[in-house]
Amino acid sequence: MNTKKIVKTIFMTEILQGMALTLKSLFSPAVTRQYPKEKRQPFPGFRGQHAFVRDAKTGKEKCIACGLCGAVCPSKCIYIYTKEDEETRKKTIDRYEIELLRCVYCAFCVEACPVGAIALTENYEYSDYSREALYMTKEKLLDNWDRFMAGPKGDEYFEKFWTPKQQSFRAHDDQAVFRPKGSNGAARPEADTRPEGVK
Amino acid sequence: MNFFEVVFQPGIMDIIVKMLIILVKAVVVVGVLMLHVTYATYFERKSIGHMQVRLGPMQVGPHGLLQPIADFIKLFFKEDIIPAGADKPIFFIAPVISIFAGMTAISVIPFFNGFVIADINIGLLFILAMSSLNAYGVMLAGWASNSKYSFLGSLRSSAQVISYEIAMGLSLVGVMMMSGSLNLSDIVRAQERFPGGFYWPQALGFFVFMVAAFAETNRTPFDLPEAESELVAGYFTEYSGMRFALFYVAEYVGMILMSLVAITCFLGGWDGPFAIPYVPFAWLFLKLYFFIFLFYWIRATVPRYRYDQLMALGWKLLIPLALLNILGTGLVKVLLR
Repeated sequence: MNTKKIVKTIFMTEILQGMALTLKSLFSPAVTRQYPKEKRQPFPGFRGQHAFVRDAKTGKEKCIACGLCGAVCPSKCIYIYTKEDEETRKKTIDRYEIELLRCVYCAFCVEACPVGAIALTENYEYSDYSREALYMTKEKLLDNWDRFMAGPKGDEYFEKFWTPKQQSFRAHDDQAVFRPKGSNGAARPEADTRPEGVK
Repeated sequence: MNFFEVVFQPGIMDIIVKMLIILVKAVVVVGVLMLHVTYATYFERKSIGHMQVRLGPMQVGPHGLLQPIADFIKLFFKEDIIPAGADKPIFFIAPVISIFAGMTAISVIPFFNGFVIADINIGLLFILAMSSLNAYGVMLAGWASNSKYSFLGSLRSSAQVISYEIAMGLSLVGVMMMSGSLNLSDIVRAQERFPGGFYWPQALGFFVFMVAAFAETNRTPFDLPEAESELVAGYFTEYSGMRFALFYVAEYVGMILMSLVAITCFLGGWDGPFAIPYVPFAWLFLKLYFFIFLFYWIRATVPRYRYDQLMALGWKLLIPLALLNILGTGLVKVLLR
């Protein structure tokens, strides 16, 4: 041991340095948020409670009952029951239910949806005492859209974060992909609607 | 002699008055002490919280000021759970021993000139004896709980207290040599000749005493008996409700006691650089708050010692240092005579 080290040990300089640091941080402002009083604004694209997108034109859900969301869901918490629409003879959803208690908020369903019919809202305060309140039906999901995402917020959500596959998916023409009827069977849309920088 | 002659002997009134005065003093001291203990917990949570860039308690009352009272009410009304295999009488008596030892030792501390509950001539010895008794509470609690965590905690505690008791006793010998008395009031008066107190002529003793005091009160960096990360809560793992609170209070009383001993033996007790009119105990309390803060400050800064390091520090460093201090003090005393 050299002299310097002995002096260091005897006068406990390192401990004193540590104590100076703790004393300094004693007077620095705390980073705590007083949660119920001070709420944190979630970042855009936050993955909170689910919502079913209400189409501004028709006033109904956008879902085309393809079942991709249920198929991709890793925790299998989406239950889809389909039926044939009486008038248009198209496949539509009969019941669409999400069990929130099992959801892991991965947003794979949003990513998988070809038409952008499901979204994750910024709502994260929905704890409850009953299972029923955390079992989402189609009506509740549509209501969530009206409450949290309606207006420009919802448009921005799909423009910036979760561009529907229908708009952005690029594939060879002979690759088997979902091709909605409106797009003349072409996987690649006429104009590239994706935001810049997305590949 | 009838009953009245026995009771009303000449001089009996003096004894009754003296006893009443002692009783009043004791009530005052216990009241003030308990108030300090309650708010020491709040002060600890706040200061450590802010040192960790948190806020500490904020919900009960403005800035969480009523938190200790809420804690007390909660602990008081909690269910008292006794483990099935516990040794019940010992399990019941262990927290009482702990708190009794701490609070009894306070009685010999002079709060200001002339205000001592028991002005006895073996004050310092009494304090050392009582702080050793405190270890019995810890050991019996660990034994009676019939749980491995409690038992390990109490084993560590007994080894630690035995090691550090020696260093603490030896570190105070220098003070006794310089003041020539074991009476704490006399020790304080002896320090009037040294501006500030014995902490600079007895620097080595003061250092050893402070380290030993941290170990005696089971505070970080020597909190092995109740190492949360290893032993759940150490010796009082199996205690709940009011009995748990008793241990908790005993810990804080121990901290206050050790601070008070350090102040009376090394920092000039009630004396200060200038007299504050009408509040003769002001300096003592200011020093006490500083020491309590020091306990928290160190807790927020340093990590826990490993067990063998703890033992090595006690036996290989503190005891030789304390002996060296005694030798040095004796030599200086002989040379200056």
